[in-house]
Amino acid sequence: MRKRIIIRTALVAALILIGIFLYAIGKEHKVLIDNRDISVGDITYSASTTYVVWVDNQEIGVIKKGERNAAIAIGISHKIVVEEIKSNVLTGEKHEKRFRLKTNESTTINIPAMINNANEWINKTN
Amino acid sequence: MKEKIKSIIESIGLPRIIIFLFLVLLFILTPFVGIRFDTSINDVIIRFSMNGILVLSLVPMVKSGCGLNFGLQLGIIAGLLGAVISIEMELTGFAGFFTAIGIAIFFAVVLGFLYGILLNKIKGDEMVVATYVGFSSVAFMSIMWLILPFKSPNMIWAYGGSGLRTAISNEDYWIHILTNFFQINIGSHINFPTGTILFFALLSYLVWAFFRTKIGTAIATTGSNSNYAKSCGINVDKMRVISVILSTVLSAIGIIVYQESFGFIQLYMAPLYMPFPAIAALLLGGASVGKASIKNVIIGTFLFQAILTMTPSILNNIIQSDMSEAIRMIVSNGMIVYALTRVVKVR
Amino acid sequence: MKKQSLTKTMNPGVQFLINYAVPIIFTILVAFAIPLSGLSNEYLVREIMTRLSRDSFLILALLVPVMAGMGMNFSIVLGAMAGQIGLIFITDWQIIGLPGVLLALLISTPIAILLGYIAGIVLNHAKGREMVTGFMLAFFMNGIYQLVVLYGMGNIIPISNSRILLPRGYGIRNAISLVDIRQVLDKLIPLKIGGILIPVVTLLVIAALCVFIIWFKKTKLGQEIRIVGQDNDVARISGINVERTRILSIVISTVLACYGQIIFLQNIGNMNTYGGHSQVGVFAIAALLVGGATVAKANIPNVFIGLILFHTMFVVSPRAGRALMGQAQLGEYFRVFVSYGVIAFSLALYAWRKRVEKENERKKIMNYRKAFSQSSNTTGGNKF
Repeated sequence: MRKRIIIRTALVAALILIGIFLYAIGKEHKVLIDNRDISVGDITYSASTTYVVWVDNQEIGVIKKGERNAAIAIGISHKIVVEEIKSNVLTGEKHEKRFRLKTNESTTINIPAMINNANEWINKTN
Repeated sequence: MKEKIKSIIESIGLPRIIIFLFLVLLFILTPFVGIRFDTSINDVIIRFSMNGILVLSLVPMVKSGCGLNFGLQLGIIAGLLGAVISIEMELTGFAGFFTAIGIAIFFAVVLGFLYGILLNKIKGDEMVVATYVGFSSVAFMSIMWLILPFKSPNMIWAYGGSGLRTAISNEDYWIHILTNFFQINIGSHINFPTGTILFFALLSYLVWAFFRTKIGTAIATTGSNSNYAKSCGINVDKMRVISVILSTVLSAIGIIVYQESFGFIQLYMAPLYMPFPAIAALLLGGASVGKASIKNVIIGTFLFQAILTMTPSILNNIIQSDMSEAIRMIVSNGMIVYALTRVVKVR
Repeated sequence: MKKQSLTKTMNPGVQFLINYAVPIIFTILVAFAIPLSGLSNEYLVREIMTRLSRDSFLILALLVPVMAGMGMNFSIVLGAMAGQIGLIFITDWQIIGLPGVLLALLISTPIAILLGYIAGIVLNHAKGREMVTGFMLAFFMNGIYQLVVLYGMGNIIPISNSRILLPRGYGIRNAISLVDIRQVLDKLIPLKIGGILIPVVTLLVIAALCVFIIWFKKTKLGQEIRIVGQDNDVARISGINVERTRILSIVISTVLACYGQIIFLQNIGNMNTYGGHSQVGVFAIAALLVGGATVAKANIPNVFIGLILFHTMFVVSPRAGRALMGQAQLGEYFRVFVSYGVIAFSLALYAWRKRVEKENERKKIMNYRKAFSQSSNTTGGNKF
């Protein structure tokens, strides 16, 4: 009798854990990507040129100087890749960053900060 | 004393008591939410008069042991045919009204007869088969409304399409013919539908009297114990068919009375779910699958229509939203489920 | 004592015709309607393929209550409601793709179990009238569902995704797009044959369910259910808790229906919040009956034969109606008429046969008694 209760509780606990897992890896997050000037303390990173952006290996599009675009990221761990475009030509200069999102977070990524490896390149909000 | 209260509650049934108390609450709340008490009562009485005969029509079949008439749509179809043909013949006023009833009775007898024979072949499973016979007959008639050769311009589609319109107004024909008959007006808010109520009273009396005749008692005996009835020499099958015909005829009349008050003849899929409110009303009045009386009809129709009328107006004022549809479904179908789960009597 | 029945006294040909009256009539109807409709064979095959993968799970859910002698379980609608609630939640939480579907299955299961349990208890109080009661219970639950989804959600039940809420701030919209989980299961393993997409995983899931049902019949619980279905009293004497078994069979059916509705909706890609589940019961039952099942006996072939026949008729009716009478609307009414009519006819036929067999049994016993009393007529005709 006691064994049955233990097994059943363990089963229910396992199902709840699976549920939480599914929730985490299936959750949709909004990722805003800015190609704008950003000031951190005294330093200002300015947006200089256009970039083409990939999030999780999916092309989001081209973001010109001063513009913003949005992407949907699903799950926990993500990767963003930007490639520089100068005078309408891909220069081949790529930058890549990985980031993790907790279940209720959405985020804003700033390209100039990202390129310069500043810590404030990503800003997560609940 | 406690025992007595307990046994009263059990015999009336907890859901009925809950609904009754809910109703009392609604009535008490009326003045507080800015609704006139007399308008509400008037609405309830009018709706009572509209639906009464349909609920009454269920009684013969319950009495004969055929159960609750989930195939009410057959009688309704007979009534619709009567109404529509009467309009096709361009009859107005009482002539139109009573012709509609006359034709409807004719169809109702035929349909009732066939329906009764079918039910006799499946004793014990009447209700579930009746439900689907009723549904399929409504769908079948929908096809018929499209292809039957009606010509009256008030009824067919305006742009020369074929078939009858979904809802036909009987405004120029016999709308409110009964309602306005000796209508009693009190103040500006009460219009008592004397004619309709009198008609309902007349039919109720006839049904009551019928069950005091020899055939009537035979039918009732068949319902309470068919083996005993057989041993008394009663032709059980014949009694059942008579009760089914009677029910079908009453429901045909019932839908015509409903239409004269409502103002529209609704065709196609409209009758699909019409048995359920009627059955729920009867059960609310204290009837069960095996037992029904005129008293049940009157109490039940009144309570049911009161809930239907009062709930939307009061709830809308309190909660600012229209929950009436959901409440109606819960009350109406809940009553039927409750009645169906009562102890089955041994046949 | 050899069981004699009306059908067995006739020659096997007539017996076959009566037993399978419904599918035979239906096949003839469909055979007429297909050429009338003018639809190409390829189109029909594609449609049936889609519907097979979409609807069979739901119909399979009906099998267990039939085994338990509870007839056609109209309360699979309750399972469908549970599934829809699950989908509402994952849409609100914005969980997409396969995890979304799996999560929906996970969280709607307890709801389905609860609803199935309630249905089981109610049906236990209505022995002999399960089908009508189940039917009315489904309507009743629809009212409760509306209370919860149209008034509770956004109010008492927190919903944050404004896209699915009504403009007034609470209550779910009439139609919700499920585009984020659309055909997730179907396309999981993509396979195209001759331009037709084959939903491999869905079909595997259906096959798994069939295997499960076959295995289940052989388990202890499955056997108990079947004995309960045969004869309640015999089951009770054998020590089986009849009430509990009946409730269990309804719970299983409701949970399966819940999953079936989720599979159905992920294929279609959007959900009709308030009307999606109503017709589920009628169509599934009609399809099963068209496949040759009866109130007392239903097996897996019934499910698939019925599905193919019923859905072919469904697809073909509007066009055939237009060809025949010049109105497609007629075909639509014809569809409804046939769905309800099939159920009415099947149930009536079954009820009639049941009565006739009972009558014959009774006559046989009377005959035996008469013969017995005559042969031992020493004291001049004892009454038994």
